[in-house]
Amino acid sequence: MSVPAPDNNYPLRLSPADTWVDQHGDYLFRYAMMRLRDRELAENLVQETLLAALKGRGSFGGRSSERTWMVGILKHKIIDHYRKDFRERPVTDLQTVEEQTVDQFYDAVGNPRQYPRDWMPDPQAVLNAKEFWTILRGCMEKLPKTTSAAFAMRELDAMETPLICKELGISPTNLWVMLHRARLQLRACLEKNWFGEKK
Amino acid sequence: MTTTANWEEPTRAPLVTSCKQAARLVSISFERRLSLREWFSMRAHLLMCKTCTFYGRQIKALCAIFARHEEVLANTPASVDEKLDDKVRQRIKDAMGHCA
Repeated sequence: MSVPAPDNNYPLRLSPADTWVDQHGDYLFRYAMMRLRDRELAENLVQETLLAALKGRGSFGGRSSERTWMVGILKHKIIDHYRKDFRERPVTDLQTVEEQTVDQFYDAVGNPRQYPRDWMPDPQAVLNAKEFWTILRGCMEKLPKTTSAAFAMRELDAMETPLICKELGISPTNLWVMLHRARLQLRACLEKNWFGEKK
Repeated sequence: MTTTANWEEPTRAPLVTSCKQAARLVSISFERRLSLREWFSMRAHLLMCKTCTFYGRQIKALCAIFARHEEVLANTPASVDEKLDDKVRQRIKDAMGHCA
């Protein structure tokens, strides 16, 4: 993005503080809100991101767009936050808890308590439907913090499993169980709140 | 019924599986290659079970949609609760002003 040429209405050259917040603030905030369930936290991480970008702008080579570069910084800050969340939680009981939740979706012989209904998401319709993402966010908020963090890294950011395990300090099995549980729960929640209605 | 098994290693999946086991195999298939036995066990179940076929397709389609969410963030207007409020916006500008 080029710096606007100085013109007579602006005697001083615009500083990043004046432009970045308005240009990228909302996008970064929305990106953070998709992954964190805490407005204040998201606001703080956006602020930290913009400050870090300001300090590091000399090293920004312009290989990507300014926004992509900032999203990269924000992504790291979010992962740092997830890491802290996982550190505060005993990982040993993680798998047991997750598998117990998976069990709740089935009866004793493994039949679903709620049989999936017949619907298929239409990607084009869903990608344009703002309410879908609001509902998805609501469904993600019903997951435990750690589970939605794992889900966000894998499904939203398409991170490789080994990298997620390394960042969060968990075993692949732990991660896979969490992802399985997240898929079960999100699918059911979306069926109930979005696809069910649309049918 | 809880089985805290290792999901990374192929298990001796039975040829006739429950919906619960089939869904588990669908999830595992996203993360690693299923063993022949696991794959067969999953396919055999999906062949017989209409609702699990819905399940598998829906999960797959949803994953593809989730992966494209950045397009949505870039192309759709943010709702009010997804926007920085003015106080915070100003706070960040001030902090950046001090830093510059």
